[in-house]
This record gives sequence, C-alpha cells and structure tokens, in this order.
Amino acid sequence: SNGTKMRNIEDTKRVVRSAKDKRFEELTNIIKTIRNAMKIRDMSKCLEEFEQLYRAFLKSKTIVDKEGVPQFYIRLLADLEDYLNQLWEDKEGKKKMNKNNAKALSTLRQKIRKYNKDFETEIVSYKENPEQSAEEEEKDDIGSASSSKSDDDEDVTAKSLMKKKPQEEEKKAPEASKFLKGAADEESESEEDEESEDWGSDSVDSGGESEDNEGAAASLAVVFLKKYVYGDKQPERKKDDRRKRHKKMEQVDEEADEEGEGEEGGWEKVKGGVPLVKEKPKMFAKGTEINNAVVIKKLNEILQARGKKGTDRSAQIELFHALAGISNENNLGEGILVKIKFNIIASLYDYNTNLAAFMKAEMWKKCLECIDELLDILFENSNIFIGENIAEDSENLAISDQPFRVRGCILTLVERMDEEFTKIMQNTDPHSQEYVDNLKDEGRVCGIIDRLLQYLESKGSTEEVCRVYLRRIMHTYYKFDYKAHRRSLGLQGETKSEQDQEESEGEDSAIIMDRLCKFIYAKDRTDRIRTCAILCHIYHHALHSRWYQARDLMLMSHLQDNIQHADPPVQILYNRTMVQLGICAFRQGMIKDAHNALLDIQSSGRAKELLGQGLLMRNMQERNAEQEKIEKRRQVPFHMHINLELLECVYLVSAMLLEIPYMAAHEFDARRRMISKQFHHQLRVGERQPLLGPPESMREHVVAASKAMKMGDWRTCHSFIINEKMNSKVWDLFPETQRVREMLVRKIQEESLRTYLFTYSSVYDSISMATLSEMFELELPTVHSIISKMIINEELMASLDQPTQTVVMHRTEPTSLQNMTLQLAEKLGGLVENNERVFDLKQGVYGGYFNRDQRGGYQQKQGYQRGDQKGGYQQRQNYQRGGYRNQNQSSY
Amino acid sequence: NLPFFITCLVVLKIIKHYQEEGQGSEVVQGVLLGLVVEDRLEITNCFPFPQHTEDDVDFDEVQYQMEMMRSLRHVNIDHLHVGWYQSTYYGSFVSRALLDSQFSYQHAIEESVVLIYDPIKTAQGSLCLKAYRLTPKLMEICKEKDFSPEALKKACIGYEHMLEEVPIVIKNSHLINVLLLDLQEKSTVADKHELLNLSSSNHLEKSLQLLMDRVDGMSQEIVKYNTYCRNLTKQQQQKQQYLQRRQQENTQRQSRGEPPLPEEDINKMFKPPQAPPRMDTLLIAGQVNNYCQNIKAFTSQNLGKLFMAEALQGHSS
Repeated sequence: SNGTKMRNIEDTKRVVRSAKDKRFEELTNIIKTIRNAMKIRDMSKCLEEFEQLYRAFLKSKTIVDKEGVPQFYIRLLADLEDYLNQLWEDKEGKKKMNKNNAKALSTLRQKIRKYNKDFETEIVSYKENPEQSAEEEEKDDIGSASSSKSDDDEDVTAKSLMKKKPQEEEKKAPEASKFLKGAADEESESEEDEESEDWGSDSVDSGGESEDNEGAAASLAVVFLKKYVYGDKQPERKKDDRRKRHKKMEQVDEEADEEGEGEEGGWEKVKGGVPLVKEKPKMFAKGTEINNAVVIKKLNEILQARGKKGTDRSAQIELFHALAGISNENNLGEGILVKIKFNIIASLYDYNTNLAAFMKAEMWKKCLECIDELLDILFENSNIFIGENIAEDSENLAISDQPFRVRGCILTLVERMDEEFTKIMQNTDPHSQEYVDNLKDEGRVCGIIDRLLQYLESKGSTEEVCRVYLRRIMHTYYKFDYKAHRRSLGLQGETKSEQDQEESEGEDSAIIMDRLCKFIYAKDRTDRIRTCAILCHIYHHALHSRWYQARDLMLMSHLQDNIQHADPPVQILYNRTMVQLGICAFRQGMIKDAHNALLDIQSSGRAKELLGQGLLMRNMQERNAEQEKIEKRRQVPFHMHINLELLECVYLVSAMLLEIPYMAAHEFDARRRMISKQFHHQLRVGERQPLLGPPESMREHVVAASKAMKMGDWRTCHSFIINEKMNSKVWDLFPETQRVREMLVRKIQEESLRTYLFTYSSVYDSISMATLSEMFELELPTVHSIISKMIINEELMASLDQPTQTVVMHRTEPTSLQNMTLQLAEKLGGLVENNERVFDLKQGVYGGYFNRDQRGGYQQKQGYQRGDQKGGYQQRQNYQRGGYRNQNQSSY
Repeated sequence: NLPFFITCLVVLKIIKHYQEEGQGSEVVQGVLLGLVVEDRLEITNCFPFPQHTEDDVDFDEVQYQMEMMRSLRHVNIDHLHVGWYQSTYYGSFVSRALLDSQFSYQHAIEESVVLIYDPIKTAQGSLCLKAYRLTPKLMEICKEKDFSPEALKKACIGYEHMLEEVPIVIKNSHLINVLLLDLQEKSTVADKHELLNLSSSNHLEKSLQLLMDRVDGMSQEIVKYNTYCRNLTKQQQQKQQYLQRRQQENTQRQSRGEPPLPEEDINKMFKPPQAPPRMDTLLIAGQVNNYCQNIKAFTSQNLGKLFMAEALQGHSS
C-alpha cells in the first residue's frame, strides 16, 4: 500500500513488486554476473552462474509460461553460445587458459548446446534481428517514462538496462549495419503511421516481429527529446542518447551513413527542431482513446520503476504530473486524480533516498500544494472513499454510480509531511533568515492538518481521528496563546487591525487542547498517543500558568512512575513537560515545587540533551556515528526550544531561595543535607575564584545574590537577581514579566528575613517587628506571619510579645558545644546499639525466656532511636530549653 | 610501682622543644636519657628527634641518636637510653604507633617509660607531664603478636589494663630554682591569670570533636566485629547442618552395608572468616577513656572556677 511504501526503514526502499518482477530481477542479476564473467573470461564462474540461471529459470517457469520466454534470457543464451564457440575456436587462447577454466569451458559449451535446443526458434529469431530487440528494451528503460498498450511489454523492465550495458560494448561494431537494417524495415512498412507515433507502444514479444520495428525507430524523436528535456546526466543515458542520435540521423537524413561527423550534424539539426518539445507530456498515442484503463495502466507502469536503481525520480514526478493533467483534461473523474495525487506525493517523499536528508524547498512546496489540492478534491467530492485497507483490485476509479474507492491513506501522507517539516526545521540554521522563511510554512502545515482533521472527523475511524488530533496537538501545545492572554488581561480593544480582530475571534488554544485531548483520553487505544496527548496537555497548561490543572494532570496520569519505559521521543517530551511545569510553578511563586520539578533535569547536567535541544560533546566511545545520527533526528526544532539559561536561572534562584535559609538554620548541624547539589557547586565555583569581580553571567549573578542573602541583605540580593542584565537574559522571557519580578522580590524579602533571623537571632535579646518590617520592606502582618511560622516550626526559639510587637529571643538555640554534645550523644546511642547487637549474638539467637525479654528490650531501644531521629529533635530541644534555661537562670 | 625522678632540666627541655617546633596538633618526640639507680629510674637528660620530612631519605634516625648519645657521653652526661617523650594534642596519644615503639623500648630496657607532655594544659597554667609504661600483660600480648578476640579474652585485658601510669618526682637543682625564679619575674601578668580563665567552650569543643572521632572509630570496629560474629555463627550453622547430613547419610549407608563416606577436612570446606584484630578497639577504648578523664578533670576544674566567680560577684555586689 501507499502507506507501507512510504515507511522506508532507514535508507533502504521497500518496494512492493509483483512475483514476476521479482523472478525477472533474479534472472537479470544472474545474467549480469555471467556477462561480467564472460568479459574477464572466467569460465568456471560462468559455468557456476549458468547453472544457477538454469535453476532460477525453472523456478520462474509458471511466469514464463504465462508471459513467454523473456527476451533478455534468449539473448543471453545466444550470446553465450556464440561467445563459447568463439573461445573454443581460439586455440591460442585456450592454451593459455588454466586447467579449471578450460575444463569449465568445455562443460559449459556442451551444456549450453544441449540447453539451447529448447529455445531454438527464439534464438534464431533473435539472431536475425538482435538490435531490434535490444532497442526495444532500451526504450523501456527510458521508459520508466514510456507506456505501452501491450501486456507483453511489461516483462521487459527497467532492470534490463543494466543487463544490457555490457552487451552494448560488444555490439558497437555491428550496430551501424543493424540500424540500417532497422531503417530499411521501417521504410518497407511505413504505412502504419499512426502506430509509429506511439513510441511506447512497441508491442514486441520475444519473437520481435519486424512490424514493430518501425514503431520503435519512429518514436525515437519523442524519446530523445524527452530525455533532453529532463536533462538526465547519467552516463548510461548518454550512451542511449548517442545511439538514438544514430537513428535520428538515419531517420532524418534518410541516409545509410556510418557514424561520424554526420552524426553531429544530425544532432544539431534536431536540436534546432525544438517544436517537438511541446509534445513532451504526450504519453499516449494520438489516437488512443484515453480512458481509465489506459491511464491506470500508465500509472502502474510508472510506478514499476519506482525505487529501482537508475530511475530518475524527478522525471517520475513530472510524469505523474503530466498524467494528472491528462486525466484532468479528459475528465476521467476525481477517482483517478486522487489516485495519481497520492502517487505524486508518495514519490515526492521518495525523492530522498536517505532518511536523514531533508526535502528541498521546491519539493516541499510542491508537496504542500499537492496535499492541499488533494484535500480540495476530497472535500468537494464526498463520494470518494479512501483508505489503506481498500485492496488494489477493489478500487473503483471510474466514474459510475458507485462512489469512488481509492487505495491510499491521506493521514499517513500528512503525517509524513509533518515529519518532513520537522526535518526541514532541524536541518536549517536556526539563526538564519531561511529558518524564518521555513517557519512561515508552519501555518500551512497547520492549515493542512486542520483540514484533514475536519475531513477525518466526518469520515475517518476513531484511531485516525486520534492520530490527526495528536498531530494538531503537537502543533499547538508549545505555542503561547497571546490572544487568549491578551483577552484575559482585558486588552481586547487594543487590537486595531482587522486581521488581529479576526485572529482573536478564533477559539482559545486552551479550549482546543482540552477538546482534542479529552477525545484522545476517551477514545485512544494506543498508549503512546494518549501519553503524548497528556504530556502536551500538561505542557500547555503549564505554559499558560494554569499550575493546578497541570500539576493535577501530571499526578493523576502517574506518568512519573513509568515514563522510563517509554521511547526516547516521548521521554524528551516528558522532560520538556516537567521543565515547563517547574517554570510554571516558579512563576506562580511555588518555589519548592519548581525546584522539585527541575531537580531531575538540572542535577544531571545534561539538560540540553535531555530536552532534545542539542548534543553534548562526548567522546566517540560512548556514541558512535550511527547513534549520533539517531539522536540528531530526535532533536526538537529550534522554535520549540525551552531557553536553557532561563531554565537554569529559574532552578538556581529556586535553589537559592530554599537553600540559603536552610543553611542558616542548620549551620551547626552535622547531618545537614544539601537541598541542591547543583547550587552548592555553583557556590563553590564562586568561592574558588581568586578575584571576585562584579558578576557577569547569570550564574555569577545568582551566586553573588546568594552571598548577599546569606547576610540577610535583601537589597543587594535583589539588585543582583533583578537588574538590566538579568532582565534581558532571563526575566523578560516570561510572558508576565512584571508579575514574576514582583513575586521574586517578595520571595527574596521573605527569605532574607528568615535568613537574617536564623543567622543573627543569637545577637538579639529582642527585636521589634516594626524594625524588621522596615528593614525588609515587608508589611507588619507578613513579618508577623513569617515569624510565627518559624516559631511554630521550632526553627526560631523565640516568642512574640504582643503589646510591644517584639520578638523575644529565648536564647536557647544550641551553641556549637551543645550541638556537638548532641551529636556525641547520638553517636554514643549508635555505639550502644551496636554493642548490644554483639551482646545479642553472644547470648545466642535461639529462644528461651531470657531471649524474649531481650527482644523486648531491643524493640524498646529501636523505638527510642526512631524517636531520636525524627521527633527526637523536638524532644531534645524541649529538653534543652528547659535544661538550659535553668542553667542560665542559675549561673547568670 | 615506685616513683622515678626527673630532673627539671628534662622538663624544661621538653617544654622548650614543643615551644620551638610543635604547633597545633603536631607532635614532637625525643629521647630520654638517664640511669637506673638500684631499681629506680632517674631521668637526667633528653634530646629531641629532629624534624625531618618524608622525602629526606638520607637522614638516618638511628645514626643520629647514636651520634648524639656519643657526643653527650663526651660531656659526661648519662647516656643510657631509658625511654622517650612525646607531646600530645588534647590528650590524644593512645595509638598503635605509641604501643609499638613503647613495646620495643620496654623490650630492650624493662624500666623504659614514655613521658607524655600536654602543652595545652601546661599553657593554661598547670604542668601536665605523665609517665606511662605498658603493663606486663600487654607486654605478653605484644610479644605474642596475637590480637585475635580469643587471645585478648584469654589474656583478660581491658583498656584499663593496658598502660600503667608511673608517678613522677621532679627534682630541681638549685641552679634550676634560680632560673625559674628569674623566669617568674619576667612573666607578664596575663600569663599568671590564665589559670582563672572562665571560657571553656573552646577547649571542650576540641575535646568533644576528638572524642566523637574516636567514638565513630569505635562504632566502626564494633560493626566489623559484629559482622564477623554473624558470619561465624552462620558458618557454624552450615557446618552443623553439613555434619548432620553427613551423619545421616553414613547411618543410611551403614544400614545398607556400604562403607561410610571418607572423612573430609571440614575446616577446609568451611574456612572461618578472618577475625578482625581487636587491639585497635582496645586502643580506641583507652583513648576514649583518656578523653573522658580529661574532660571530666577539665569540667570539674571549670565548675569550681565558675562557682568561685559567682561567689566573687555576689560578694562584690
């Protein structure tokens, strides 16, 4: 089917061929090797291959019975026999041969003599007129382009060209005379003028009757011109050209000259006779009635050449176009047109054999146009059924009462088109004007997808609808919906131009996303599409700051648990989504959530790779060229990238807001854990600098800000985080810049206040909240709430004195000595625990009254330890507070 | 255990040595010279080991000591090598190195001692100089070089029986007395009042840190021992099972009239796991004990000072 045809795996082409083609290809391949062996006089090889050929021929017996013995086969037999006889005669040469070869020669000679008796008549006829049959085949080669009415012709495929090549060398000498003969034949039967126009109609079968001869010769002009127009440069074609030139000359000059200067002259003349060019797209004989059957035949013929070596792919596309034109002119109905369009698009995709290569611009444009036209037809004619499951023979292309049935899958074509678009974007330099130009096509791509969506909604199956929905989603999820944003801000009136007005009338992308995704959630049966849809949906939510929806969807989907089983592109999408989620949380001021969401991506240090936004430099051992290619193909096009600096900055700032107060609170805690390794790393890098200049990069800014925050100096911190440099680098990239900045300032103030209290509470006996609120420019209630929270969480040992609005410090934060003692106590606990274990072992593990008792004791101990680790902190502090207050009171 | 005499010269020389070369946790060492009078040891002189770096390969310590002693003999100084001294950092000295070298000294001359000088305490106003000797029990064990759990168990040795402290009597000659008086005159007022310094946390913190480090070490040792014990019992069980199976099979064979299975070397099949040497644990325990004593002494002294200060304050106000 079309669908399968297009799915090329890597660079190899899968072409569906008939059994006949397959068999004949096998034969021609063997023949080729035989001819090669002949050339180098390798008799043993010849023998071996001949035996193979014999077997292969037997295998294809059924086909041969139906189609007749193929011409190329006969030719080989004849040539081989001649060749062998010639060798046999050459006594000198035979002597020179080595033993093996000589032996093979004699065996082969005998064999072929015996074998050829079966084909005597054919060989004789071939020998009578070898050039004609060669010529005929040659035309078929060209003739990926040519068409013919006769069935017999089909058996001579383009492949035969390859096989014929070596033969040509040998034949150069007798050529001229044969041409002569051909010409003579032609003259003798020149009545059939009409026939002669149809250059593709050489209905010669293996016999090669002479009446067809003239048809072949006469049509040369067309063929040649055709070739000329398409400007094929392949050398083999040139050879053909030359040969044709011979004929041309003969025909035009009607002189039986040998080749020479005359030939050149003839060439010039023809070139002068350009008018023939107009007949270029002429594929059918003048008089042929152009009907469905004819066109389909032609179509199939063109298709046959598809995927074969030496097929001029661009020419093929042209031919398809021409065919479409013809069928249009003759009003053959939409069915056939659709069919041809399918093939045009398919062959456009085929144009690049390498999967890594991308479409050329003009091809791409053509492709878009074609799909557009195809969709036009489909929309206009609701009586066309297309589908990949319609079998080739159940197609209905003719105009009749029945609706058209065409094999092919438009969805696959569009999907492929989308992929091609991605490929083009991947392969364009993102900083060039070209990229912008290419990106403009995105609108068209979206338009096509939209139209297809409409079409499939009415006609397609659920799965198809899901697929096309996903395509639509994929083109929507990463785009920020500015109009919806503007509308939500109530700025509708500001859009003046008509176009803007028009744009803003469309549906909000959120609504579209919601509708499409929900359909997929409900209907999809492949997990992958649903997963992608969910991720896109979350991404879209996050992008538009709908944090709670995004988060809930993420949590409900349980994607975090099993995403590692997904394929890499989905994982990349997941990573993108997580990052977007984190950034969204940050914008909403949920610093902790932001940090958690970004932690995984940032801590690996390979954010770029994980997001599919570029390859990291790595040595070749880890990644060979093949892998690199695959990874390159996974890259996300530039216009969908998430700004990595923004990402890192968001992460670092979140880490700073969390880590600095935490560090201040647990200054003496030996078991302090790092919240963010990455952030600590940046701090260390900052410390290592021998000379600290003013910050330049984003990281340096964050590090400098962190240092200021450590001292509780929020103003400096603020000036490092939010300034012109950082604005242009990071903050301006947010759609709601101002709001984010305000949030950030507030967070900095709050966290600085906390840090300040942690760090300097030991210095104060009491501190008025009014002073604090002034220092940190926070309202009194905020200060109050922050301090209250700290007291409740037992982070700050203080109490609030309501009447005076002051914080009274209890001075019960453990000193470093006390901290140390606590640690020691903990360690000793561990030691005792371990010691008891040794003791347990000594006592023996086997039952007994004593042991039971022991176990009870052990459990108790564990309970104690558990308490020590978690709730224990609180306990300990309670204990201390009491204990030390007593001491304080007593000693001072 | 009879006390032994040290001349003040030795003390001053040790102090001077540390003052000049030791810093922080660095340790200085030297040789004690003296003679055995009747069954008592008298230490009359000492000289330091020179500091030298690892890459200074040409330096031969033994050679240096011999030279030094020969030179000292020329000026008529007692030249019997009766022990060695070492400075300590917050009382950390119980280590494998000390054990080994003290063992070799004591092995050669039974009366040998090691003098431990604590410069930090001394700096705070109370001279801290202690002499230790390995107990005969420990000497036995060290001679055997068997530190397996069984051997130590058999020897009945705990951390408290490892080192014995030997009382010291410091003898001052008149000349020394004169010198000391002279020094007293020169010392500043602040130095004198160091004794009454109330701030304690620094010292305690250091001690605690060291103590904690050792406790960690102890925990590790115990865990090691624990796994060893567990492995041992597991293996023992396996061995038992194996033997039982074997026995059953043999009885079966006997009933069938077949010859019993040949004896196999059971120890080869079940190689007992390598027992961790327990000496380190003992040393650590000794060291921990030492720290604890130090801290206890220090805190009790400090508490006294605090009470004194309180009383003074109450008196004055």
